[in-house]
Amino acid sequence: MDGANGEEMAVGCILAIKTTLGDEFEGQIVTYDRPSNILVLQEGTTKPGARRNLRLLKANYIKDFTLLGRGEDPLDPKKCFIDLAAIQAREDAAMRQAEIEAERIGVGVTAEAQSIFDALSKTLPVHWDKTVIVVMNEVRVCSPYLPDNVSGGTPAANERVKKVLEFERKRLQARSPGQF
Amino acid sequence: MNLQQAVPPRSSANGFGRRRVDRETGARMDDNRMHSGKPTSPNFGLANGSKVGGVAGPSHDRLIYIMTCLVGQRVEVLVKNGSIISGIFHSANADKDFGVVLKMAQVIKDGSIKGQKPFNDTVKKPQTMIIPSRELVHILAKDASLSSDDGHAREKRNDLLIDSVISHPHHVEVERELERWIPDEDVPACSELENIFDGTWSRKWDQFETNETLFGVKSTFNEELYTTKLEKGPQMRELEIEASRIAREIEGEETHDHHLAEERGIYFHEDFDLDEESRYSAVRREADGGRYEENENSFLDAHNMETFGDSFGSAVSRSYSEVLSKQVSSESLASSTCLSADEDSQIPADKDAHVSGFTDHVTWPSSDSLVKSSLFMDEKNRLDDKMTKDQDAEKILLNECRDRIISEEAQTSKSEDVHPSTHLKGLSPSAVTYDPPSSDQINKCPAGESSDSAISGKLTSANEAVNTSLRPGCSTSSTSEHVGSGSVSGGPLSPSSSVGSLSSEKSTLNPNAKEFKLNPNAKSFMPSASLRQHTPASDGSFYYANNISAAPHMHGISMGIGIGPTFGGHHPVVYSPQAAPLQSPQAYIHPNGPLYGQQMILGQPRPLYYMPTYPAEMPYKGRNF
Repeated sequence: MDGANGEEMAVGCILAIKTTLGDEFEGQIVTYDRPSNILVLQEGTTKPGARRNLRLLKANYIKDFTLLGRGEDPLDPKKCFIDLAAIQAREDAAMRQAEIEAERIGVGVTAEAQSIFDALSKTLPVHWDKTVIVVMNEVRVCSPYLPDNVSGGTPAANERVKKVLEFERKRLQARSPGQF
Repeated sequence: MNLQQAVPPRSSANGFGRRRVDRETGARMDDNRMHSGKPTSPNFGLANGSKVGGVAGPSHDRLIYIMTCLVGQRVEVLVKNGSIISGIFHSANADKDFGVVLKMAQVIKDGSIKGQKPFNDTVKKPQTMIIPSRELVHILAKDASLSSDDGHAREKRNDLLIDSVISHPHHVEVERELERWIPDEDVPACSELENIFDGTWSRKWDQFETNETLFGVKSTFNEELYTTKLEKGPQMRELEIEASRIAREIEGEETHDHHLAEERGIYFHEDFDLDEESRYSAVRREADGGRYEENENSFLDAHNMETFGDSFGSAVSRSYSEVLSKQVSSESLASSTCLSADEDSQIPADKDAHVSGFTDHVTWPSSDSLVKSSLFMDEKNRLDDKMTKDQDAEKILLNECRDRIISEEAQTSKSEDVHPSTHLKGLSPSAVTYDPPSSDQINKCPAGESSDSAISGKLTSANEAVNTSLRPGCSTSSTSEHVGSGSVSGGPLSPSSSVGSLSSEKSTLNPNAKEFKLNPNAKSFMPSASLRQHTPASDGSFYYANNISAAPHMHGISMGIGIGPTFGGHHPVVYSPQAAPLQSPQAYIHPNGPLYGQQMILGQPRPLYYMPTYPAEMPYKGRNF
């Protein structure tokens, strides 16, 4: 849309934008990059330093926009410094975090199984072994994750896992009836 | 499949490391084809405004800046078919088209399938996804920060690993919405259950009988074991009438305490603002709470002023009567006449504070009603005590007093009340408060009867006795004096409604506490590096040296007592042979205690203000203070 060309100089303007996909949002223009046709919008309160939602929108998806007002340049050119090391560290941390979370997700398991896994993991140490939930490195719960599928481990541990499994199942059913 | 290698890094501005842009037409997402590119090269330097070869100026720089800021943050990418992919922003190609690489990315919302069924399929592990620019609609970074200052803060936050992060809050299930319980309509309400507390006394069921018949349990309860025996004399009926009248009067009193008000059925207009918590559960921190933290008379005064300040008008009469009643009580204590301090000893500090505080504040009432009410209060106290005390003399006296009061001679005696009190005001303040009642009694029960005079004589003597003991100071020491003498009269402490209503908060003072006697001769502690000679701290009156005369450990030290050479007769010392260790209720804190270990009898640890020093050769048989 050609109207986007005019925004090159309009940093700081507040727009209400409708996209071709039907989304609507408002935001303040941070920048517009002509070669890649990307408009960067900043949403949220105008409190400086606060975290805001940042949206990088491809300008050719803008269906319509309205100018709501003008504001200041959200980026202070004098304060734009980047600490690469910090950013790198941040990414690494995020990656670690995401990996840890990914460990909890079973590959090729149903969502129901995943919910059971999550519920069990609150109180017991669990991890996935393909599609089998392994509790406390001893007890194995295989598909379809009913109390009858609990096997292995000491009788006490087995019993405990069975009980927890039953309880969690009941709770899950109570919370979202019909889903299972 | 066209793979375009990463654009070689242009000058310094584009040093994002390796970026891959997938330009193939079909596939939208790729498997992990990330090679080992370093995300950012060390020599990447971005300064706003630096020239990037061949690319437009400042706005492009801004874009690059923003993209750099976003690295490592979780973003959501909306693609053309409506799916949303969430992942960690890794890098992007900002040269021509804007392709994005997301790590650990997952499809959150699949736009290609009609309807929302996000979890029906098998869960996929997150992977690195590359989104070509043609598919990209927008990238949404929630709670992104654009300045690097915030970045530092965020960094710290990530590394701190707060508990909620560790415990994976996203796995917490949403709690149920709590609803107030409403009884089912079809459940029959048992009328029995609801009325179970009504008409307690009219129920024909005796639990003890039932128990005995059912289980053969014999009840050995004897009421008189726990309370004073009621004398069922001829005056019983009248006393009961009188007592219930007084009770009604008390219960009808105005109060500002919400709990009392609720009991009595008084509803404040501001009650509607109070929720259940503040009505029944929360701690009320008003001015009159916690007023017994210090033993300062002035403090008590101030508190009492606050306490009574808001209802001062009514309180004056009440307090005056309090004062009177207490005065009367005090006399009765000593002389065990008609009045006792039973009810008052429960709140001794109050009493005392009233005594001392209100001499200044209470002006002698000149209104009839005031005196009358005070007299009634007196009478009430007396009658209350009558129930609990069985003293013949007091009964006789009471009868006479009551007759006189009822016959409204109290009116005339009012003036007489005032006079002696003012007359006696010249005495010590504490004395003043004690005098009027005695004169009251004398006035009301005119001499002429031997018992009267005897009693009045007792009263006066008691008055003085109490006065003198009180003179040293209106502190809680005198309070305990009261209590001490109060306990003489025996009988359990019966809660006094007259006092209780006035001071609805409980006293935190221990009525059985020993009086604190300041020992002016107590030496302050001077730690000495020499021998084991110590002097206890200033409140030495409670320190008793436990002498171990035969202690084998005491070699070479001629300290039989263990307290410094200045030890004289000031400190009461209890000598007990080692062979027969005593556990006396008073605190034994021998200053050399730790040295003698098990030989020492150590009572309850009092706060010690010194650490004894001892020569090095002595083993420290430690005692932890």
